[in-house]
Amino acid sequence: MSNTINFTIDGKNVTANKGETILQAARKNGVYIPTMCYISKTSPCASCRICSVEVEGVDGFILSCNTPPTEGIAVKTNSHELERERQNIMKLYDVNHPLECGVCDKSGECDLQNMTLEFGVTQQEFSAKDQLRSVKDWGLINYDPALCIMCEKCVHVCNEVIGDDAIEVKFGGYSSTIIPKDSDTLDCTFCGECIAVCPVGALVSSDFKYTANAWELSRVPSTCAHCSAGCPLEYETRHSGINGDDSIYRVKNNFEFASLCGAGRFGFDFDVQAEKDETRFTAALEAIQNASAIRFSSIITNEEALILQKMKEKLGLKLFNEDARLYAHFMKAYASVSGKLHASANLEAIKQADAIVIVGTRVATDNPGVRYALTTAARHNGAKIVYAHPMEDALMKNTATQFMKYEVGTEEGVMALLANELLKNADLDDTTKAFLDDLDLGYLEAESNVGDDELSFMSKSFMRAEKKVLVIGADMFAHARAQNIAKLAATIEKYTDFSLLVVPNEVNTVGASLICDLDVDEDLSSVVGYNAHGEYIIAADENADLIVPALNQQEGTVVSIDNQVLPLNAALGFDGYELNDIASAFDIEAENTIDYTKELPQSAGFKGVEFDSLENFLGEFGEDERGYQLESVECVMDGELEEVAELPEYNGTVVYQANPVLQFNSFTNKTKQLERDTTLRGSAQFAAAAKISDGDEVEISLGDSIQRRVFKLDDELKGTIALNPTFDSGYDYGSYRFLKSKIVRVM
Amino acid sequence: MSLEAFNNRNVAEGDYFLVDIEDYPTTGWDKFKRVVKRTFKGELFVGLWVVMREMIRFDIHTVQYPQEKMPIGPRYRAVHQMKRLWESDTERCIGCGLCEKICISDCIRMDTRIDENSRKEVTEYTINLGRCIFCGYCAEVCPELAITHGGEYENASEQREHFIMYEDMLTPIDKMKAGKQLEFEGFGAITPHEDERVKKTPLAY
Repeated sequence: MSNTINFTIDGKNVTANKGETILQAARKNGVYIPTMCYISKTSPCASCRICSVEVEGVDGFILSCNTPPTEGIAVKTNSHELERERQNIMKLYDVNHPLECGVCDKSGECDLQNMTLEFGVTQQEFSAKDQLRSVKDWGLINYDPALCIMCEKCVHVCNEVIGDDAIEVKFGGYSSTIIPKDSDTLDCTFCGECIAVCPVGALVSSDFKYTANAWELSRVPSTCAHCSAGCPLEYETRHSGINGDDSIYRVKNNFEFASLCGAGRFGFDFDVQAEKDETRFTAALEAIQNASAIRFSSIITNEEALILQKMKEKLGLKLFNEDARLYAHFMKAYASVSGKLHASANLEAIKQADAIVIVGTRVATDNPGVRYALTTAARHNGAKIVYAHPMEDALMKNTATQFMKYEVGTEEGVMALLANELLKNADLDDTTKAFLDDLDLGYLEAESNVGDDELSFMSKSFMRAEKKVLVIGADMFAHARAQNIAKLAATIEKYTDFSLLVVPNEVNTVGASLICDLDVDEDLSSVVGYNAHGEYIIAADENADLIVPALNQQEGTVVSIDNQVLPLNAALGFDGYELNDIASAFDIEAENTIDYTKELPQSAGFKGVEFDSLENFLGEFGEDERGYQLESVECVMDGELEEVAELPEYNGTVVYQANPVLQFNSFTNKTKQLERDTTLRGSAQFAAAAKISDGDEVEISLGDSIQRRVFKLDDELKGTIALNPTFDSGYDYGSYRFLKSKIVRVM
Repeated sequence: MSLEAFNNRNVAEGDYFLVDIEDYPTTGWDKFKRVVKRTFKGELFVGLWVVMREMIRFDIHTVQYPQEKMPIGPRYRAVHQMKRLWESDTERCIGCGLCEKICISDCIRMDTRIDENSRKEVTEYTINLGRCIFCGYCAEVCPELAITHGGEYENASEQREHFIMYEDMLTPIDKMKAGKQLEFEGFGAITPHEDERVKKTPLAY
């Protein structure tokens, strides 16, 4: 049986792949069928009926959005009847729609406005008794039921792509509305994707509401600077006030194909302003001259990282970045077994996958981009998702099909057990075979608390899967046995049809790890911090000794989780000095920072292309035309699996360094809209073990540092592990994320 | 004086006559003759006599500006006015931003926010009259007839800043309360008998 179907649309011969709908085939072939509720990344809502078409020999209209074509049919997208049908639908949409276009936030980019004009609605024959519908304030999101046209796009993305499943349709004919699911007010992760997809002004950002109009804003396409997912977004800027400088008013995204979390959408105001201050600049140069090392964070562009690397070579400095260094080491160990520098999977692979294993990351908050891809896989492919972690995550409850709880610190054992299970029928080489044979399964299972029934259940659920992905996260990089974990992951990737996705911590951990030659962080006396702590601090922060532009104020590139080099564009201006000016003072000359884009190391997979030749958009059908994919790099395969070390034990109260939803780092911490929950969150069991109760102020001893936090009881958590946010404390991912801690109540 | 005399463009009838202008001198001698003639004829006193004569007659046709001012046509585009709603005396401007967008000399700026009653409120509104070319697009695009052109053409001031006062453009509240706000009669204004021409939405209930 062939996999394609031939039919005609308006007399044009069209070929559709199996599984495609008439609408998809029409769009692919450039035939226009109007839609109102259709959105490419979800299953069809089929609520608007605007996409109706006629099929010869079939009575009535057919919805092109959810009907696959059959061989040889003749589809007609335009006829007098269809025209009238569509006009009538638009008239019905327009019944009692408030005539407040003049103030509505959506005016100018409103589907209802556009389609009402498109179908020439000049008069109204329908009427219905209007009813009182009050505006709902859902925190960051504002819902106006009077403007809502019940297209259900928001419900579909919330459920199928984001996974919050926080809103639903309250059916009631003309009085239908969107309501929060099982709650009085909206209780979700506030990704704001519902705002993005809303075709009218019903769901809008509370902060943006009534502050500007669509046509006044300039759009700057860029890449989100908060986590490594590298989501595409557009900053929309306008002058602030009547004499003010430009500021970012809101962030939008190409919701048709891409998604964005709340940090990207609402956390955009992390820019800084500075003047060129000669004395400060001289002081900065002096500080670097006298410094023995520069410590930097991975919230940096590739170009800046390259400048730092050049400064290291020229001035004989050391470069510290524990996050990137540990990631580089992890990937080096991976490469020594897999023979290539970059892992094979990307977010698209997850979306396509039907079997996924996630180990060592609280993925929903570590990287929402991965979470959305997982949700898409679960909803659209029915993917079996095994979520292995010492802590349950309520956000993954609806997505993960199997939760595999393991003991803190036993990641190596878990990976060995997974390898043993997944490689059962693989054609292995002798050393790997010997390694697996030597495993003391009983010991590993006992210590890690992962039973063989769980493993065999996993294998069983994966039996019919074709596209499989293994996701390895941030818990692993700073693990004492990170090298062997990486090798185990590489082994699984090598001998099975699993592809591997490694989830980096920060926006450009990958880039920094590829470009810089990093040193082990020592407690030296004269360290200059670049967006990191040190004696002299150069940072995109008002309190820094020298202020440099933030990532939404400069051009440059970052490397995302997909190993894709993505361009960042400057949404706002910056008058002060930047790293390039400092480098120029040390005779590392370049006119602009982006002159370094073509110099990025080709040995790491970068292509020697100019920044200005990089595109930054998603194509008509969602093709990713942003930047470029890193070239694959061959590596020497000299790594061998080591024997699994004795699994450590973490007893008592353990603290896990994990951020709450929408918070990632000091930049998200600065933004106006994002909630800052700096509490230590733990279960009742944790509270009992630590002898503290809800609302207590506690002192947490983490290794050699002490933090003060308020303890908050969280019903959704279990066990004796508490979540300690890091976004406000400048944690550098240099240590294993689970820490044995002593918790004392402050009287 | 009625406007009819001005509107009659028929040159053939009435008081129109051709002005008798001599040809320009071409030769040097002719030019010399003209200089001599102008020097000794005392044309200056001819002109002064005309002024003197008219002054004595007390039949003056010129408008005694600034004591006297001519009425301005309804479509004259002078300094903007911001109107108030007859119903509530509040500002008509809804903050849609169309005037700001359409302004070709980029002299309108406004800032809006959501107010306590969840309505759009215009917090700041300025027109930089130093830049304004009085093209009238803002008044034309305004969906609420909130911004219109008034007849105030005397704009001289010591400072440019005086040209951007929103308060000066807005109908004063006492004038509004007294019902003395003048409606704009120029382009885009509501035509007479508009109410009779509006098609109403059918209401079946």
